[in-house]
Amino acid sequence: MNCYMNTISIIIDDQKLETDPGKTILEVCRENGIDILTMCHLKGVLDIGACRLCLVEIEGVNKLLSACTTKVAANMIVRTNTDRIKKYQRITTELFFAERNHVCAVCVANGKCELQDLGYKVGLDHIRYPHLFPQCEVDTSHPWYVMDHNRCIMCTRCVRVCNEVEGAHNWDVMNRGHQVRIISDFNSPWGESETCTSCGKCLHACPTGAIWPKAIVQGQLQKNPGMINELVEKRKMKL
Amino acid sequence: MKSDTAVPVKDMPKTDPRMKLIAAKLKKENFKADALIEILHTAQNAYGYLPKEVLSYITRALHLPPSRVYSTVTFYHFFSLKSKGEHTCLVCTGTACYVKGAQAILNEIERGMGLKAGQVSADNKLGVQVARCIGACGLAPAVVLDDEVQAKVTPGEIIQKINAKIGTL
Ligand code: SF4
Ligand code: FES
Ligand code: FES
Repeated sequence: MNCYMNTISIIIDDQKLETDPGKTILEVCRENGIDILTMCHLKGVLDIGACRLCLVEIEGVNKLLSACTTKVAANMIVRTNTDRIKKYQRITTELFFAERNHVCAVCVANGKCELQDLGYKVGLDHIRYPHLFPQCEVDTSHPWYVMDHNRCIMCTRCVRVCNEVEGAHNWDVMNRGHQVRIISDFNSPWGESETCTSCGKCLHACPTGAIWPKAIVQGQLQKNPGMINELVEKRKMKL
Repeated sequence: MKSDTAVPVKDMPKTDPRMKLIAAKLKKENFKADALIEILHTAQNAYGYLPKEVLSYITRALHLPPSRVYSTVTFYHFFSLKSKGEHTCLVCTGTACYVKGAQAILNEIERGMGLKAGQVSADNKLGVQVARCIGACGLAPAVVLDDEVQAKVTPGEIIQKINAKIGTL
């Protein structure tokens, strides 16, 4: 027994790995170059296990568990790329596309969209579920930014960034089920918000073309979700 | 956040007894944010719904983000943002009640009162709602009239009872 080095060993996809306890399966996978699909995960804000894309199989556990919210444990045996998992990734991706109106060809985020990338990754060629085609609002009331609910996948990355990093808590979620929507203040126009600081972190956090700056032309959208974690780290350093 | 505009409790309209109720509840809960649901309950019961001004008052009193409060209000079916009417008639359309004829009851109410589920009459006297199983399946078909469960009702009976309530008998 070595009481100084507090590491545990786990097996992911037949690969034996040494790691610190307290990390999530997702963190360990990313550190070791094992690809896990994610959508609601954003480094720098709390994980909530909302999108179910990162599901993994753990030996001895019947259900699939989300890698972003499950901590590693000693001698855990994890599988990330079985047929069962691939099937669910595919279903989840199709449901993302079926729920709102994702028309890449006319979207500002075309070519810069995590949802589009996901579609390519899982080899989406058709969607087996009926499209809901909801009539969603496009909120252009903010002087600099646009919120297009048609493109939103309810990952709530914007909500968490606004609350946890900026501390403004302009965004939240209203209603339930397929009626859920991201809201600003009392479900009022973004431009009338009393809490928004116009910092723009939500648009960098947003994986799709739901939040974007007005000052762009098609195809030139720049999003930098990584800056959220850089910011969090820099704040910790308090230089 | 314009927290400096927060209205101290003492400055709220003292004339409205319903506001007084809410102010008292806020005080009792020590203005603690985690008492939000209890305070919303008090407000919902006092007004029958949650008017915008009341929501912003509670929000400021508890120093909560508005979107958080709105999120809570829209999550629970108990809360409503619009008046449900002075009298409410909730028809259960859960499986048991459906089998026992909930649709006929609903049709009769819609026909007799000229109101569809989810609507409130123009004079605000009556609101009609539906719910999926109110947990009284043994009493099916069940209707809740002003918080009172009416067991094994027929379409004719319920129309009579509604009329008695809204005083058109
Ligand atoms: S607006 Fe963007 S970041 Fe916010 S929930 Fe929707 S997709 Fe996610
Ligand atoms: S990334 Fe794990 S559930 Fe969304
Ligand atoms: S179905 Fe009406 S009470 Fe259960």
